[in-house]
Amino acid sequence: MPKKTTILRFLAALALFAAVDAWVYFTLRGTLRSQEARDSESRLTLLARSAPADPENLDTWLASVPESLPGGAAVYLIPTEDPEAYETRSSDEEAARLWDSVSGGADAAKGLESAYYFENYASPQRVEYGGQRVRLFYAPVLDESESELLGIAVFLAPEAGNRTLERLFALFAVGTLVLYAALSGISRFARDPTVGYAVVILAGIAGVFIAYPLAEALRLSFLKEGRFSLEIWKDVLSGAHLQALWGSVRLGIWTASVSTVIGFVFAFAIHRTGIGGKKFLSTIAQLPVISPPFSLTLSVILLAGNNGLITRQLLGLQNFSIYGLSGLVIVQTVGMFPIAYLTLAGVLQAMDSTLEEAALDLNAGRWRAFRTVTLPLAVPGILSAWLLVFTNSLADFANPLLLAGNYRVLSVEAYIQVTGRNDLGGGAALSLLLLLPTLTAFFLQRNWVAKRSFVTVTGKPNAKLVEIASPRVRFALGAGVWTCVALILGLYGTIVAGCFVKNWGIDYSFTLSNIGEALTRGRDAIRSTVTLAAAATPVAGLLAMAAALVFVRKTFAGKRVLEALMMTPFAVPGTLLGIAYILAFNKAPLILVGTSAIIVINYVIRELPVGIESGVASLRQIDPSIEEAAKDLGADEGTVFRTIVLPLVRPAFITSMSYTFVRSMTAVSAVIFLISARWYHMTVLIYNFSENLRFGLASVLATVLIVIVLGAFALMRLLVRDTGALEKTITR
Amino acid sequence: MAKQPVAVTLDDVTRVYKNVKGRPDVVAVRQASFEVAPGELVTLLGPSGCGKTTTLRMIAGFDLPSSGLIRIGGEDVTNLPPNKRDTATVFQSYGLFPHMTVAENVAYGLRVRNVPKAEQEERVRRALSLTGLSDYAERSPGRLSGGQQQRVALSRSLVVEPGVLLLDEPLSNLDALLREQMRVEIRRIQKSLGITAVYVTHDRTEAMSLSDRVIVMKDGRIRQIGSPSTIYEDPDSVFVAGFVGKVAFFPVAVEGLEGPGCACVLHGKTVRAGKRAPGVAAGKPGILMARPESLRLGAPGQGVADGTVRQNVYLGSSVETFVTTEYGELLVQVDDPAGKRIPAEGEAVSISFNEARVRVLPPETE
Repeated sequence: MPKKTTILRFLAALALFAAVDAWVYFTLRGTLRSQEARDSESRLTLLARSAPADPENLDTWLASVPESLPGGAAVYLIPTEDPEAYETRSSDEEAARLWDSVSGGADAAKGLESAYYFENYASPQRVEYGGQRVRLFYAPVLDESESELLGIAVFLAPEAGNRTLERLFALFAVGTLVLYAALSGISRFARDPTVGYAVVILAGIAGVFIAYPLAEALRLSFLKEGRFSLEIWKDVLSGAHLQALWGSVRLGIWTASVSTVIGFVFAFAIHRTGIGGKKFLSTIAQLPVISPPFSLTLSVILLAGNNGLITRQLLGLQNFSIYGLSGLVIVQTVGMFPIAYLTLAGVLQAMDSTLEEAALDLNAGRWRAFRTVTLPLAVPGILSAWLLVFTNSLADFANPLLLAGNYRVLSVEAYIQVTGRNDLGGGAALSLLLLLPTLTAFFLQRNWVAKRSFVTVTGKPNAKLVEIASPRVRFALGAGVWTCVALILGLYGTIVAGCFVKNWGIDYSFTLSNIGEALTRGRDAIRSTVTLAAAATPVAGLLAMAAALVFVRKTFAGKRVLEALMMTPFAVPGTLLGIAYILAFNKAPLILVGTSAIIVINYVIRELPVGIESGVASLRQIDPSIEEAAKDLGADEGTVFRTIVLPLVRPAFITSMSYTFVRSMTAVSAVIFLISARWYHMTVLIYNFSENLRFGLASVLATVLIVIVLGAFALMRLLVRDTGALEKTITR
Repeated sequence: MAKQPVAVTLDDVTRVYKNVKGRPDVVAVRQASFEVAPGELVTLLGPSGCGKTTTLRMIAGFDLPSSGLIRIGGEDVTNLPPNKRDTATVFQSYGLFPHMTVAENVAYGLRVRNVPKAEQEERVRRALSLTGLSDYAERSPGRLSGGQQQRVALSRSLVVEPGVLLLDEPLSNLDALLREQMRVEIRRIQKSLGITAVYVTHDRTEAMSLSDRVIVMKDGRIRQIGSPSTIYEDPDSVFVAGFVGKVAFFPVAVEGLEGPGCACVLHGKTVRAGKRAPGVAAGKPGILMARPESLRLGAPGQGVADGTVRQNVYLGSSVETFVTTEYGELLVQVDDPAGKRIPAEGEAVSISFNEARVRVLPPETE
């Protein structure tokens, strides 16, 4: 327990800071307001001078007042013989009525009196005009010699004041106070302030870059022209967009089902049969996970598109179209079955083969043993794989963008709403709609299926595997698997081939000119893509490890909330995060749109959950007394992190860094909203080239991207010789 | 190697673990007060869950007392983090840094204290030679045996010359023989350095053979503090008597206090006990305790309890005879058995005791 004097001293310091803070704020606001008052006064004086001397022209002048004084009006009083009476003219009816109601008051008398002395009078009175609070300003109108009073202009001026600026000041004042309270509180009360600072920093990051944009997206989907309205959601939930939601779900179901079947065949063939070339097959089966977006689509278009090599040149089909659901299912399956494969491979590997042996021993046939033992044991794994692929398919943006044709999916719909119709709120609403099935699948997978696993890790490696497949079945499996592998290699081969073809679909002659042109036009994009990914990499890695350490080893209030918040980007489709970022960061207090920072931050935030997960997993393996020993020997938290934790979680650290790098290099769904002319992304350039049918250029860039990504992974494997950790991380 | 040894004082230290889900709070340590004198080795002894490790962790700074004060060398360290305390801990699981060599492990504490390189090397060399590890300096700790790892942990703690050395069941992961060796070793090093040490164990032999004083704990409460001989021969409670050694208990009625002992009635017979614990009062029930070595065997009817011999265990220097009596199975130790008649198994005997050596305790209240 902290001592009383410490608490008192802290409170005193806090009070002092608050007083200074408040003084600065009110002084600033006061200056701002008096400056504005002076400005508006001189503006109104000038306006009064512009009043015509000839009463004939008064009505025109009065009508023009709202133009120079938005939301305001004027009443013009012409003195008559009777010093108590005036002839009254006004901009409109409401102003006239308003004047009638105030003209008898003492304040009005004061205003008129000032005018007789040729002086302005700014009344402290506030009245309601046009649904707005306005102030009254009396200005004398003089003749040219400035000796005679022609009339008195009474302006109904809307409350001047830069509300946004004032609010910003207030936000800033409160922000500094909170920050001061948090930091000085930690340094006074915490035994080791480093942890406190780390928690505050993490909470700040999670609050500003995760909670705030998502909340902003949600809020703005309920606003229409600044007011609360359900209009956007009415529009979103109308037939047209629901059709897109159904499109997304239908695509997800197809892709997930086909991918799970293929993934299971691969996993079974590789891990449960004596098929040849296992290592090669396994490597190829994982390749599509890290392949850049658009590359497989590009390849499919080259082969089977409107001018595709196979469909047009070889088969001569005229009315065939790959665009639509079937094409999407093919591309997504090739890209996502590795997720199913890796999940199921883990399950089948961990399964004790003696169980199958026992079934065979009890005179079950091979098929029966498979059906009654292997398959039921694998069911949780199969469901898990299905849900994972389903989530990925729904969040997928790149493939449908190029290949959807007339088929509608939500992620693309949201993109079009934002870029095509410039309707950010609608885009936010659409991507929030996408969150519904995605989150459902995500939580089902995490909380239900993952806990229902029958697979027990016995700890003794299965030395010998029982061959449950008959030679004929093995041959069939082998044929299927090798066909798939050939298809994958063919797709990648097509991209490489595309680099060297003059004009795909029309002129297949060999050329090197694509390479030169693509590298020239894409040079800036390549440079900025690599720069931004490289900038995000160490930040994400260090942050993830620090967060993992705090989550595993420390207890503090609100830890679970913070943990859940930091894991959120895992389940949120990139489209939503991208839209949320432009909504949140294109206005005060944080204007980041158009900068490189917003892209780097987005990368870091999106890849943080994976890093945290692998950091947490690896920290749980480490005896806490190792860190305690270091602390005991005199190391503070920072030193412990640097000299003990980081070296011990090195594999997780490197894996999460390379993962961040690769995913940032191949990002598209969120980053497409955040790029600017100065900070472009290669994937978007690939998309642009493909859209403009410059397939050669697109192929070159896709190849460059693949080479960079493979290089990053090779480097990582060299650094961590622990492929197990790598595979686990990739599966997500 | 050691500097001036310091004292450790605990003043009314309590540690309560708040239980969130509506269950009652757990009091791990209740109002613990004791002082470890400079250069003294004190053992916290008790069954698992008695709060001894929590007490040690609070001294080290890994855990914070809910109330109370902890002083090291007169300075209030109650709220100081571990890295600001003059303590060094040897952990049960050693906590060696797997990514460093033995020498780097030992040098770690010096490194974070920015000790000059040359001095670091010299001190590491001395620490390793003190524990007989000079030949293993460049090895990775993962490739050492359990006993060697234990020595690395010890060297690593000693090299920083802590004011207080804390040992958390350091020998529990070693086999019996090695444990005995290390026990002697630790005591030798502690004495030669004159370092203040607090040692946590649940092994009574370890506690007896190592310590200057033993603190016996149960359910978060300190039950008795005393030298090993006091704890063994003159325990103040049934729990302490039973926990620190083999013992026979006889329920008695206390008749009257006599000098340091008392007279009491056991099964209608008045017997005299040479010693009594605080809390024993005339006219109240009591428990008479006798260690196996203060019990004697005789012909049936002669002693305080009759029974039959169930089993004899020959140990060379003594024979342990288990006798079934109405007070349960009692163990009688017959020293120097050569030339003595040992009753055969199944034979009827009676048990009597050395009145000067037995002690009457108040009945256990909890």
